[in-house]
Amino acid sequence: MHTCDLNISINKLSKIEGHADLDIVVKNGEVKSVDLKVMENRRFFDEAVKGQSYNSVPQLVSRICGTCSIAHLTGCVEAVEKTLKIKPSEQTMILRKLTMYSMMIRDHALHLYYFVLPDIYGVDSVLDLIETEKELVHESLHVKEAGNNLSNLIAGRAVHAPFEQVGGFSRMPDESKFKETIKELENTRKYVLRLAEIFYNCKWNLSRETDFVALKTDDFSFLEGKICSTTGACIKEENFWDHLHDVVMPYSQAKGFKFEGHEYMVGALARLNLNIDNIHKKTKKDMEKYLAVFPSKNIYHNNLAQAIEIMHSIDHSIELLKNLKPVKEDPIKPETLNGEGVGVIEAPRGTLYYWLAIDEGKIRYLNLVIPTAQNLINMREDIRQMVHEKLEKGNETAIKKEAEKIIRAYDPCMSCASHFLRVHIKKE
Amino acid sequence: MNKKKQIGIFSFTCDEGCTIFLIEIFNKMLLSWLKKIELRYFLSVKDKAEFDYLDVALIEGVVSNEKEKREVEEIRKKAKIVIAMGTCAVTGYPSAQRNNFNETQQKNIQDELDSNNYLPKCLLLKDFIKVDDEILGCPIDEKKFIETFEKYLK
Repeated sequence: MHTCDLNISINKLSKIEGHADLDIVVKNGEVKSVDLKVMENRRFFDEAVKGQSYNSVPQLVSRICGTCSIAHLTGCVEAVEKTLKIKPSEQTMILRKLTMYSMMIRDHALHLYYFVLPDIYGVDSVLDLIETEKELVHESLHVKEAGNNLSNLIAGRAVHAPFEQVGGFSRMPDESKFKETIKELENTRKYVLRLAEIFYNCKWNLSRETDFVALKTDDFSFLEGKICSTTGACIKEENFWDHLHDVVMPYSQAKGFKFEGHEYMVGALARLNLNIDNIHKKTKKDMEKYLAVFPSKNIYHNNLAQAIEIMHSIDHSIELLKNLKPVKEDPIKPETLNGEGVGVIEAPRGTLYYWLAIDEGKIRYLNLVIPTAQNLINMREDIRQMVHEKLEKGNETAIKKEAEKIIRAYDPCMSCASHFLRVHIKKE
Repeated sequence: MNKKKQIGIFSFTCDEGCTIFLIEIFNKMLLSWLKKIELRYFLSVKDKAEFDYLDVALIEGVVSNEKEKREVEEIRKKAKIVIAMGTCAVTGYPSAQRNNFNETQQKNIQDELDSNNYLPKCLLLKDFIKVDDEILGCPIDEKKFIETFEKYLK
C-alpha cells in the first residue's frame, strides 16, 4: 500500500453559498479525517422566533438564507398552516408553485453558471469567460433574470419575497404582465437546453452506493407529497422524525443525518431519481436524452438534474400562467391558535423540514432540518473515496481541486447549515 | 482611459441575501459595470482574492467575533470608500438580533457564545470603523444600490 502523509486545508471555500473550510488529514496512506467546517456565525433564529407571532415568523426565518429564502418562507408558512389548521386555497397553491419555480430557476442557474461552470472551463470565475464564452455568459444573465422576473411578478421579489404569507398571498400578480413573462420563459428554454448539454457532456464521475431521499410529488412542484427513499420506504410528512435521525459524525464534532439508519443524499439528483415520471411533459419531450441518464448514483449528475429542474420549472410555470386568472382572496383564518405541525418542502438543495409548536398564536419551539446537514455524511464519504482513489498519483493541489468540485456538486448552503450545526473550534 | 475601479464585496455574519440580490442586479448591469470596475474580492463568484488597495469595499452583515472585527479593520485600512450594504450592516437587524434577547434567551445561547469566542454583542460596522456611505433594504433596494454604487465609479 502506498504510504504518505498529507494535511490539506482549504480556508474559505469560494463559489459556494456561505463560508466553509475543509481539512483533510492523511496518515500512512490512510484517510484519517475529512472535516468540512461550517464557518458561518450563528444568528440564533431558533431562539429569536420564540414568543413571536405566527404571522411574522415566516418573514423572519426567510432571513436564514439569502439564496433560498423562498424555501424557508414557504416551508415555515406550511408548518404554521398545518399547525393552525389553515387550508390554503387552490389559487394560493398555484401561486406558491410559481413562487417555488421562480426560485429554482434563479437559484439553480446561479449554482450552475456561477459556481460550477468555472470548474468545467478551468477558470477562476464566470467573469473570466466573458471574452471567450460571451454567449454563454449572456445566456446565464437571461436565465437568472427570467427566474428573477417571475419572482417579482408572483411574490414581489426574488430575495425575501413580501407577498407570500400564512393563509394566502397579500397581493395578486398583475395579469397584464403574464404574456411577456410567458414569452421570456419560452425564450429561455433554448439556453437551458444548451446548459444541460454542457453537463451531459461532462465526464466527471464519482459514484458510491448510497440512498436518495426526496418528496415524491405528482406534478413535481417541490411542495407536497410523501417523503420517499430509493430503498422503497415512503412516509408521511408529519412522521419524519420517526425515520430521520441526527448522528454525531464519527470523525468530527459536527452532526449529520441518517434516514432509517442509512446514509443518504438529498437535492436535485435525489428528486430526479425518485420523480422522473412526474416531470412536465414538455420537458420530457425536449430533454429525453438527458433524462435517460437517471436514475444515477454519480454525484456530478446533480448538476444535470438541476438543469432539468430549471426546464421543468419553466415548462410548468408557463402552463400555470396560461391558465391563471388571479382573483383577490382574503387570507384563510386559523381554526386554532395552538398545536404542533410539520412543513416539508423541497428547497433547491433538498428536503427542508420545519417543525413548529405554537401556543396562543406565539411560537414556542422551532426545529429545522436543512438539506446541507442531511448531505454532510455523504459529502464527506465522497471526499474520502476520492482521496483514497487519488492518493496513488494525485498531488495535494489535484486533491484539493477535486474536493472542491465534489463539495460544489452538492451545492451546499452554509448560511442554512449554520443554523443547526454547532461549530467546534479547538482552543489553542 | 481611466484605470478601472478596484472593488471588493465582503460578507460577514448574515444570510448573504444582499450579495445574492446584487448578483441579480448584475443581470442587467454587470456587462456595463465591468468596463469600469475590476472585482478583486467576491468569494461568491471567484476564488482569487488578493488585494492591497480597493476603491470601494461593499460590506454586508454584522460582526460576531474578534476575527471578523480584525478582517473589517483590515478592509477599512485598504479601502478608500467603505459602503455598508443592507439593513444588517446599517442597523444590525436581523443578524444582530441576539443583542436584544431577553434574559432567558440569552441564557440559552450563552454556552455557545462562550465556547466559540463570540463577542458579547454583535457589532455594527459604524461601531468601530468609519463608514462612508450606506444602502438600506433587506435585501438592498435595487435603485438605491445602483445610484449609490455608480457615484463612486466616476
